[in-house]
Amino acid sequence: MTPEPNPLIVQLADDLEPVRPIRMAHGFAALALATALTIVAVALWQGLWNGPVAGEAAAIFFVANGLIALVGLASARTVLRMASPRVGSRNDGSRWLLAALAILPVTALLLAVFEGALGSHDHAADGLHCFFAGTASGAAVAAALVFWLRRGAPVAPAAAGFYTGVAAGALGSFAYGLSCPFDTVGHLGIWHVAPVAVSAVMGRVAIPALIRW
Amino acid sequence: MIADEATFARLMVATQAGDRRAYTVLLTEAQSWLERYFRRRVPAPQLDDLVQEVLLAIHAKRATWDEKRAFLPWLAAIARYRWVDHLRRAYRLNEDELGDHDTPEVGEEEAVLARMSLERLFVHLPAGQCHAIELVKIKGLSVTEAATRTGQTESLVKVNIHRGLKKLSALVEEAD
Repeated sequence: MTPEPNPLIVQLADDLEPVRPIRMAHGFAALALATALTIVAVALWQGLWNGPVAGEAAAIFFVANGLIALVGLASARTVLRMASPRVGSRNDGSRWLLAALAILPVTALLLAVFEGALGSHDHAADGLHCFFAGTASGAAVAAALVFWLRRGAPVAPAAAGFYTGVAAGALGSFAYGLSCPFDTVGHLGIWHVAPVAVSAVMGRVAIPALIRW
Repeated sequence: MIADEATFARLMVATQAGDRRAYTVLLTEAQSWLERYFRRRVPAPQLDDLVQEVLLAIHAKRATWDEKRAFLPWLAAIARYRWVDHLRRAYRLNEDELGDHDTPEVGEEEAVLARMSLERLFVHLPAGQCHAIELVKIKGLSVTEAATRTGQTESLVKVNIHRGLKKLSALVEEAD
């Protein structure tokens, strides 16, 4: 037999209004919009590199940017799912993709060790520019994901902050990477992956306070 | 008899559409479910407050349940989140009300509950952290009493509580 409702329940029921349930599709749409706007902004600011369509880009350009984009998408998906909590939800896929991404900087560092100084053939000065621009380019994605999480009910704020940072850094770096003509593993593996790592740390530190409920 | 998954899900669909009668039944059933869920992990005097906090959270976050997913794992995740938050804020209690409410209950619902239970979170904690949290945050002993009971130094008890709560917080969603 159902017991008599307590006063709080009566009050909450009186306050009830219909709600539109959160839909992952809406989150993906917001993410796609933020990413597209970032790419447009990069195109207007720097112009996109036409090397890939002209057949001038090295294979590593596609591999590195593809991997970075994939990490961004997987992490963003993890974040979108976190807005609707459930027990037993794991993020193993995103973790493995992050491990795969780490192959790029490790390769770059090994090449630096075996072939000489990193800066000599990997454009260190331009690299710093790519690092800062790539990191800043994640702002729109970060804002979209934080907005989404605030609408939702993330029960793992630290993880949500971390993956938001990863997604923002990766998609921002990917967007900016479309304008970058340096297609060596040293450049891409260090300067285009660094925004992911730095954004992950920033997200882990700064975002939990914004999404706690 | 507490509502099952299908009943909860049906009530929640109606709730999201604005059906107040369904919502009253849903919250009443959720209240019973939560009282059982928290029974062994919250001192009795704090149980009502914690259950009410979760009911308020359900109300505020009712749009975050997706009808394509099961209801109880959603409810359990919110309950765990609020529980860890509660442990962080828990003050020392003089009375230890635990232990006499652990009446075993059987059946399919119990099996589902066990899978998502709070006990499962403790499995992932080292024994030292687990004991420190249980004694100080749940049973209400002082740090000094917990140190005597466990053989840990007072500093270690504090460190274990801090690290344990941090780890519990990280496990809220992942541990099944």
